[in-house]
Amino acid sequence: MKAKLTITGLIIATIVWAPLTSTLARGDDFDAVVKAIEQFYHVKHQSLPLLARAGMKGARTVARIRGGDYKRIADAGSVRLVFFEDQEFNSHGQIASFKASIKTALNDTWSPLIATLSAKDEEQTYIYIRDAGAKFHVLVVTIERREATVVLATVAPDVLAMLMKDPGDMGKTLTDDAAMNDPK
Amino acid sequence: MKTLFQSSVKLAAVMLLLFGGAAITAHAQGARLQLDQLDSLANKASETVDVKLDERLMQTAAKIFTAKDDADIKEILKGLKGIYVKSFEFEKAGEYSQADVESVMSQLRGAGWSKIVGVRSRKDGDNVDVYLMMQGDQIEGLAVISAEPKEFTVVNIVGPVNLEKLSKLEGQFGVPDLGLDQPKPKKNK
Repeated sequence: MKAKLTITGLIIATIVWAPLTSTLARGDDFDAVVKAIEQFYHVKHQSLPLLARAGMKGARTVARIRGGDYKRIADAGSVRLVFFEDQEFNSHGQIASFKASIKTALNDTWSPLIATLSAKDEEQTYIYIRDAGAKFHVLVVTIERREATVVLATVAPDVLAMLMKDPGDMGKTLTDDAAMNDPK
Repeated sequence: MKTLFQSSVKLAAVMLLLFGGAAITAHAQGARLQLDQLDSLANKASETVDVKLDERLMQTAAKIFTAKDDADIKEILKGLKGIYVKSFEFEKAGEYSQADVESVMSQLRGAGWSKIVGVRSRKDGDNVDVYLMMQGDQIEGLAVISAEPKEFTVVNIVGPVNLEKLSKLEGQFGVPDLGLDQPKPKKNK
């Protein structure tokens, strides 16, 4: 009887704990990337997103890619978004070191899809993907000379298929989409 | 005695599976080039593009491309174990060294790689080499190294590559234009 109770307890604990650890891990990765940016560039993120930033330009980009009227790309309520605004992002010729620090901040469950860097303009985009059951988590880090954005979103497989065909535009599309919706 | 014999057979089978599996994995990984040493070039490059579609992402891609329009892509991606692209553009010539190129080329000597195309342009200083890794009649990997005065690009595709269909990957998944377009058959008038 005691053994049965112990086993039942363990099963319940596993059921309760598994989604919790998954959520925590997701939050940890997002926070770890934000922290990596703050430590490397000596900047601080702003929690309150300035939604006006996205504007119609973002809507047009997203609509163009979806082939018509604007439709949401990321799953509702799945988006986490952090802005760094009006701060100096200068890698002092060590942009490759920052790339390495992003890689270090993320655990092995993430697959890097694409990284584009421009040392001269201090512009960078990183996209990481990982399996999230029936859907996928996409992490996009965008850095420019005076601002940066980190987006974590959950997308459906068909959306990921669409985005993967053009990974170069993927970061902008997802960031625009996240900024236009209700980031947590 | 019988038990000892049975145990020995079982042990041998397990060892065979372990070593056999390791050998297969080693060959599959053989076509994957080590390119991380090039990452520091990003500090000097005006534009860097680094695409990594690893085995896990390839499996994901195989699952998510379900639309009819994606049938060709799915066919090409089927069986592939990875697509890796590193491309560096520089503002002036001489920003990357022969040692950087050699760090890739040295991996293509031996170990099953054969050069199938080598283009040298003395005028422009453009060098393009295409290597294939073969196992029997099957292509196990492809490497394209393009070294121009202001640009250095390495494309590495791991797994069974269908050269006829490969051109369909150009411009997709971050794969640059490799000039792989098949010549169109001439029409008889």
